[in-house]
Amino acid sequence: MAFEIPKTAYSGKIRQIKLGKGDKAVTVGGETAYPFYLFEGEMPNLPKIAMEVYDMPPEEWPEAALEPFAGVTDDPLAWAQKCINDYGAEMICLQLLSTDPNGLNRPADEAAQVAKKLCDAIDVPLIVWGTANHDKDTEVLRMVAELCQNKSLILGPVEEADHKKIGAAAIGYKHTVVASTPIDINLAKQLNILLGNLGVSDDLLAMDPTVSSIGYGLEYCYSVMERMRMAALTQQDAKLQFPIICNIAKETWKTKEAKITEAEDPKMGDAKKRGILLEAMSATALLLAGADVLIMRHPEAIKLVREMISDLTAK
Amino acid sequence: MILIGENLNVMSHTLGPALREKNAGPIEEMAKAETAAGVDLIDLNIGPARKGGDELMSWVVETVQSVTEKMLSLDTTNLDAMEAGLKVKKNKVLMNSVSLQTSRIDRGLELALKYDADLIGLLWSNDGMPRDVNERAMHTVDFVYKANEAGIPNERIWIDPIASPVSVEINQVKACVEFMGMLGEIAPGCKSTVGLSNVSNGAPDELRCWLNRTYMIMLMRYGLYSAIVDAFDKDLIKIARGKRPDIVELVHKIMDGDTPDIASLPKEMANYAKTVRVLKGDSLYSASWLEV
Repeated sequence: MAFEIPKTAYSGKIRQIKLGKGDKAVTVGGETAYPFYLFEGEMPNLPKIAMEVYDMPPEEWPEAALEPFAGVTDDPLAWAQKCINDYGAEMICLQLLSTDPNGLNRPADEAAQVAKKLCDAIDVPLIVWGTANHDKDTEVLRMVAELCQNKSLILGPVEEADHKKIGAAAIGYKHTVVASTPIDINLAKQLNILLGNLGVSDDLLAMDPTVSSIGYGLEYCYSVMERMRMAALTQQDAKLQFPIICNIAKETWKTKEAKITEAEDPKMGDAKKRGILLEAMSATALLLAGADVLIMRHPEAIKLVREMISDLTAK
Repeated sequence: MILIGENLNVMSHTLGPALREKNAGPIEEMAKAETAAGVDLIDLNIGPARKGGDELMSWVVETVQSVTEKMLSLDTTNLDAMEAGLKVKKNKVLMNSVSLQTSRIDRGLELALKYDADLIGLLWSNDGMPRDVNERAMHTVDFVYKANEAGIPNERIWIDPIASPVSVEINQVKACVEFMGMLGEIAPGCKSTVGLSNVSNGAPDELRCWLNRTYMIMLMRYGLYSAIVDAFDKDLIKIARGKRPDIVELVHKIMDGDTPDIASLPKEMANYAKTVRVLKGDSLYSASWLEV
């Protein structure tokens, strides 16, 4: 008898959702097999990369991360345009870091104005990310949702504690919600159920499993994402069949390993190369675990990941 | 099915203070209530009781045996407290528990022998919780060998394979069921028990009973001898006493791979059906598992 390569029996499919609107809208999800298992099923939409833009000039970023954005870090719009025009960003993620109550604590209306300015000026899909402070995110993201109504933003993180208020605003003003849970598959499923009960449409829901960098528990995130995909694809778990968004850049670049200069520790080698590789490798691991959207920072790291995606999907 | 009531517990908001203050009233009330509820043994859980545990356990044992004839289960990890309880017992008791840890097993077995007590053999080793069904089997062999060597026959050992919460690791939930099917062959004559409510730890309070009852049925199918349970879950007691064959039949069918149309079942049956699917690992647990 001829040898037959064993195949996974898939019974489910990841939902295909559209992010953003107009010509530059992107479609993610739709997988019928494990990530890049093109010999077993389809991956109709390749993973997308959103480039980060901050609403305040970055503090304590390593030189390598700042260099590509020299001259635009104090202007979110110029920063976003640079990402799109110079680095070919197909999505933008506005990180509303300035709203952090433990930091600048900028009021919600000011932050919402920045989001509004951005979404009016750019045509690629815009993710707007809060600070994971439930009270402040509720205030900020609700205002963003209202001010940018019908712009089809992607709002996150939406957690169990603030899902009702942010979720309701997203439903009312037609935005996509990113359900965020602390690296736990049962909690992820539960939040998706709660958002469904609230009335968030299945076509406007993505998941953030909470991720971390290489060396900081990436294996754990990988395994939770892997189990999400197993439940979604082989156990027909409809409540986990949503595309996954991974906010990985800030997790990588804040690590000691990405920040330390070569002068401080010569055996760590070239800092730029190191930071880029840490980001690219972390992102690649998450892709293999099932990420549909990666939020990334360094253009060189993004280039490496794009090459990897294209290699892995070459016919 | 032997039921051990878990409710006389140091974690309770009313009984915890009563235990600390040696206030007999609430303790006696609870012992009477559990007796009336129809459990077979009453567990006396005084916790780790590092300080004054011996005095506390002898007081609790004397207090409780003054109001009930039920067999008692002395629940503490403090072996001095355990011995103090054993010294004042009127009837035969169960020691809950003796673990496999090097620091505990010898003394635990010695006490069981000296005071002619039954004992729960907790499969918790020097490496902590067993990781799968094989480690459970291995630890059982170790435990029974050591107990026999010390002069304790299999019939007095109640093996506890350690149930873990469904929200933590489903493979551990499954391993416990699988192990129960093997126990008779590994250690003929040994009894078994399980801290049933562990399986629902972390689940919403009002829904925990569904997980507890369903898991009990699954384990009973493979010969579970006893379980430490909520004495006041009336439906659980009915199931354990064989008064709900309809539920048991449904659970067994689903365990065997049957996939009934859950939507067409009456609410109670649908809840059991959904819960077996979760505990078998066919459907991933979430706090709203009964709603989806």
